[in-house]
Amino acid sequence: MALAVNPLTAKQWRRFKSIKRGYYSALGLAAALVLSLAAELLVNSRALVVSYQGELHFPTYGAFLPGTTFGLDYAYETNYRELKRTFTEQGNGDWVLLPLVPYNALENDLREGVYPPYAPSWSSGHYLGTDSTGRDVLARLVYGFRIAFGFAFILLAVNYVVGVALGCAMGFWGGAFDLLFQRLIEIWNNVPFLYVIMIVASIVVPNFWTLMAVMAIFGWMQMTWYMRTATYKEKAREYVLAARALGASSPRMIASHILPNAIALIVTFMPFSVAGGITALTALDYLGFGLPPPTPSWGELLAQGTNHLEAPWIVTSVVVAIVLVLLMVAYVGEAIREAFDPKKFSYYE
Amino acid sequence: MKLLRITTLVPLAGGALLAGCGAPEAEPVIEPQAQGVELPPIQVAEGDGLPASLPADLVWETNDEDPEFASPDAVRGGTFRTYMLSFPLTLRTVGPDSNGAFAGYLRYNRFSPVSFHPNTRRPIPSLATHWAFGADGRSIYFKLNPDARWSDGVPVTADDYVFGVQFMRSKEIVAPWYNNYYTERIRDLKRYDDHTIGIQGASPRPPDEMLYEYAPGPQPRHFHVLNDNWVADYNWKIEPNTGPYQIGKVEKGKYIELVRKDDWWANDLPYWRGRFNPQKVRIRVIRDMNIAYQHFLKGELDTFGLVLPQFWHEKAIGEGFEDGYIAKYWFYNDLPVPSAGMFLNSEDPLLASRDIRYGLAHAMNFDRVINTVLRGDYERMPTFQLGFGDYDNRDIEARPFDLDRAGEYFDAAGFDTRDAAGIRVDGEGRRLSFRVTYGQPHHSERLVILQEDARKAGVELELQLLDSASSFKQIQEKKHQIGWMAWSSQGLSPRYWEHFHSDNAGVTQTNNITNHADPAMDELIMAFRNSVDRQERIALAQRLEQMVHDSGVVIPTFQVPYTREGAWRWVKLPSGLGTRTTGTLFNSQANSAGIFSAGGLFWIDEAEKERTLQAKDDGVTLGPVTVVNADHRASSG
Repeated sequence: MALAVNPLTAKQWRRFKSIKRGYYSALGLAAALVLSLAAELLVNSRALVVSYQGELHFPTYGAFLPGTTFGLDYAYETNYRELKRTFTEQGNGDWVLLPLVPYNALENDLREGVYPPYAPSWSSGHYLGTDSTGRDVLARLVYGFRIAFGFAFILLAVNYVVGVALGCAMGFWGGAFDLLFQRLIEIWNNVPFLYVIMIVASIVVPNFWTLMAVMAIFGWMQMTWYMRTATYKEKAREYVLAARALGASSPRMIASHILPNAIALIVTFMPFSVAGGITALTALDYLGFGLPPPTPSWGELLAQGTNHLEAPWIVTSVVVAIVLVLLMVAYVGEAIREAFDPKKFSYYE
Repeated sequence: MKLLRITTLVPLAGGALLAGCGAPEAEPVIEPQAQGVELPPIQVAEGDGLPASLPADLVWETNDEDPEFASPDAVRGGTFRTYMLSFPLTLRTVGPDSNGAFAGYLRYNRFSPVSFHPNTRRPIPSLATHWAFGADGRSIYFKLNPDARWSDGVPVTADDYVFGVQFMRSKEIVAPWYNNYYTERIRDLKRYDDHTIGIQGASPRPPDEMLYEYAPGPQPRHFHVLNDNWVADYNWKIEPNTGPYQIGKVEKGKYIELVRKDDWWANDLPYWRGRFNPQKVRIRVIRDMNIAYQHFLKGELDTFGLVLPQFWHEKAIGEGFEDGYIAKYWFYNDLPVPSAGMFLNSEDPLLASRDIRYGLAHAMNFDRVINTVLRGDYERMPTFQLGFGDYDNRDIEARPFDLDRAGEYFDAAGFDTRDAAGIRVDGEGRRLSFRVTYGQPHHSERLVILQEDARKAGVELELQLLDSASSFKQIQEKKHQIGWMAWSSQGLSPRYWEHFHSDNAGVTQTNNITNHADPAMDELIMAFRNSVDRQERIALAQRLEQMVHDSGVVIPTFQVPYTREGAWRWVKLPSGLGTRTTGTLFNSQANSAGIFSAGGLFWIDEAEKERTLQAKDDGVTLGPVTVVNADHRASSG
């Protein structure tokens, strides 16, 4: 991208890198994201590789393999943890390679006579214990993280596209258009978002996309105010006047002159919007208006944790995860803000 | 974020409640008021009506031969302290907002002409001493107890019953349901003399069912002045009643205290003596169950319900319990069990196949749910309706989780191959995937276990959690595939017409939520409905229950055939703890569940209270008390 060679950008990048906790947080978050995209290879009940009678199977992706594939007596999906035990006992050269956490986020690992939630245990592979229906907490955290981040990123994209476009238009054209949309936004802002979600959730089961739609419908306004102000400010600058004198069209003026100069604003807000998206989804899930069961979600884990305080590993795991992620996002945000600040030092008198 | 707004709602709601508490004290004295409306005499429709004079050939019945069930050791006195989650919005028993949790305390102190024995399920005298049935099969006559008194000392007479019907039919009480019931179901009520009345219902019913369906209670004629302001005027007035307790003290928003009537008219009558022993019942408002539990542990509440596994197993342990200051009771009863089940909509193209319905039943691993998240405490419900004594068909067993049999049924229905996700598909590419509609968030943990095990059978369950009202609405409109819910059940015999008759199939807003329609079954249902012979009805009910099972449209889920409660040592129970139909052991009022007069059997032992508190102060342990009583356990489970 052209931005990469821009000396200003290079300077901002150097500045960003120099703020250590922001930089490492960014690296940490990026790593977590990449790993969560490959979660099926790390946290999964399906084996990575099965060697059966000299033939290799890779069950991770694709259609399920019934137990009969490996000489078992059932037609439903193979239980690879059991298969591993069976192969070890038989000792005829067959082997199973399981992921680090050999559970998926949906299966109930229940034992007769002992009641879930089960405490963390190294030997069972539940490194963070299980929830109240015997599902692995770590698996639910990882898959919940992926869903929450996916949600936050898509929501951010939708909100920013709408918000930035409308905000720019309001600031650029001003007048009646600006006035009309200001009032519309003010009215829209006063619709109680939580009640709308509650009503929607009581009529239909909210899924990922309906939740996204509702949140986007009520989430785009914030950005319009900032963009409107920024555009008003930039519009009055000489370089815009110069562009206009050269005969640039309105879209061109907005897209190639005003927007790049307002980019700092957008980029600075982004991390906080991501954090907002994650908290919003978590809060909705916590209240029971979010994604339907059995979708792995942090909010649902949090609700379970607070109901099962006698099983502290649930609430501890999810609270630590939320705090860590939000903290890292906040550090990244802080570093970005700092990097885009034209003044390196502030003097206070 | 926008979500922060919820925090601003909380103080607002709190403020509103506080404002409610500031209202003036309830005024127990009847004050003179504006003239009430003139109530018309009871209107009788064409074709209805009781004879003008009492029929001569009536056979008067009573019941004084059943055993009494109260303990002869019971002593009167003391204060029973319990709680409610919210303060009632009114002290009226009818009209707007009169259906809250406190309403039970009011209603069970308003007696009916007859009550029902909690062990034999036979009628026992209450406000009436004798009863007789008319020749038309739908009328009853009562001889009223001349000693019965309202709490203000005024005798209860036939006029109060006439007024009762006029009152319930009047528009001024703003109670459409009662207006309708007392017009459509109660067709006539006649006064023959001061202490004899006759009542005619809409259609013939078996005698014992008429005794509660067509037996409206009296209303205090001298107390009510009906006019347009009745609802507001009577919000906080204390209505005279006929039961053992009357409201003594009301502290709005904080507590209500009921006081035992020393000279209650039924004090020495069989079935009523030795009951309702605490001198006072103080019902505090504690807005959260967990906080209420803490009050209980501190000894500020005398008893606490421990039915939930989490309470019984995890919370009700430790100090007070191990030292024996608090006793734990697990009491099996034999009551009409709520009909909890998965209701399969037989109008759905897949669920229309009986093989698929049977297969589904065999694909549901209820035992696993019971043995894990329900801690082995619940039991499998074997059939649709249960707990009606002789009417029960105890031969039916629920279809067990059995992947092989599920597979056979699904194969037979043509679903013999599996897709990439492991779900069965048929030749047309239809998948065995079903939407389960339910309305209780805490049932998710049960459903996810069923969901996981159903996958093994090649069935996908899609969980649709709605709020409870929307969930019920969707099911009533028959838009569900599988409805996960429970019907409350009450009365003396099971019901089939509303749940399985073809008249109710395929139409919205009826209780036939499986859309089951079977002419053979219709015939039996109508025979059951029209029969007034108990033995015949029992035989028909058992055949009908078997047909329900054979149709496979209901997969029965769970039952909780017991109550579990904790009580401080000084709260004493009779030797058998309770009766066959005891729903709650420490229930201070006449009825605890439904129509059976099983309540008010415990008493408070003041000497024991002193001993226990002394022991607690001195740190002396008295030995843990956990009593399990399965005398009335009906199911084999």
